[in-house]
Amino acid sequence: MLDNNFERDGHAEPSRERPNRADSGPLSDREVPLAPVATSDVVNRWLDGELPEPTGLQGDAARSVEFWRRIGEETDRRRQLVTPPHLSSRIMAALPPMDTSTRVSPAIGKTLQMSPLTAIAAAVGIFALGMLVMNALSIR
Amino acid sequence: MSQNLTATLATTGLSRGRKSGYHATVKTTVPASSMDQLEADQEIIARVLEGHRDAFSTLIQRYSDPLYRHALGMTGSPDVAEDILQMSFIKAYHHLGEVRGRFDAWVFRIVANGCKDWLKNIRRTHVSYDEDDQPTGYANPDEELDRTELRDDLDSALAKLPPSLREAFVMKHVEGRSYEEMADLLATTVGALKMRVHRAREALQALLEEKYA
Repeated sequence: MLDNNFERDGHAEPSRERPNRADSGPLSDREVPLAPVATSDVVNRWLDGELPEPTGLQGDAARSVEFWRRIGEETDRRRQLVTPPHLSSRIMAALPPMDTSTRVSPAIGKTLQMSPLTAIAAAVGIFALGMLVMNALSIR
Repeated sequence: MSQNLTATLATTGLSRGRKSGYHATVKTTVPASSMDQLEADQEIIARVLEGHRDAFSTLIQRYSDPLYRHALGMTGSPDVAEDILQMSFIKAYHHLGEVRGRFDAWVFRIVANGCKDWLKNIRRTHVSYDEDDQPTGYANPDEELDRTELRDDLDSALAKLPPSLREAFVMKHVEGRSYEEMADLLATTVGALKMRVHRAREALQALLEEKYA
């Protein structure tokens, strides 16, 4: 037997009683309370440098700001650390002599050095090659 | 220490258990314009590839500080940070001919991957900064004790974060990088990184607030 999906409790769906809710008017007319600005959002924006340090906060918010101020002092100190002076020489001492097979010119900043005579010879050669190609194409 | 790292250390002649110093002075060696920097780096790379091995030390000195801070922030151990830096620069030296674009971004990725590999492989025994290595500029012992405690607690809390959150927090707060710079180095979006940093802050606060907030 198939279920009757159109009636419940012996009543047709439209005849069921609905609660008369005060906020059941058009959505645009309802008063929707705004969510309070989350404290964590304010703190995050302060820590990201988007807002000045929050002041006049109380309770958890004030404790949160104080907490991050203390962490900030520690991270600022760590930002001043530099490499121990011996490390550079230690790394240099550990470098193997460069294998000639790895001596590849970098892709950027590669300079080609040649004498003026070589440059002229290369230009003449390229021109002659170009003429040959042109002739071959015109014959066809 | 992981088997991989141990094996690599054996081949590169690294030693363990030495004292590592902290040096609280800031070096600023990065040229003003990034284009100048790119060209300057390319010139040095070309010289090294021509056989001038000593020119490589200029690249080490130019970029080791931010890389060291990254490795130290990620591993929490000066010794491990030094070893990762050494291995990374040796790797960079071997593959110098493959550099395309910015050397600093390229070598950062080598170091960042080295840190992640170490974190993946390490069987965690909490490693903390060596007490003797810290600069002592505090007026009274209580103040210094408080700071040492905070430093150790922050290390422990950072060690509990997933590597991606830890990396984002360290880059933002310890290295002081902008989100744009982080996005460039990690090849991801500013939005994703903001989310990671915010989640890292939430997690750290949850771990530490009972004691410090």
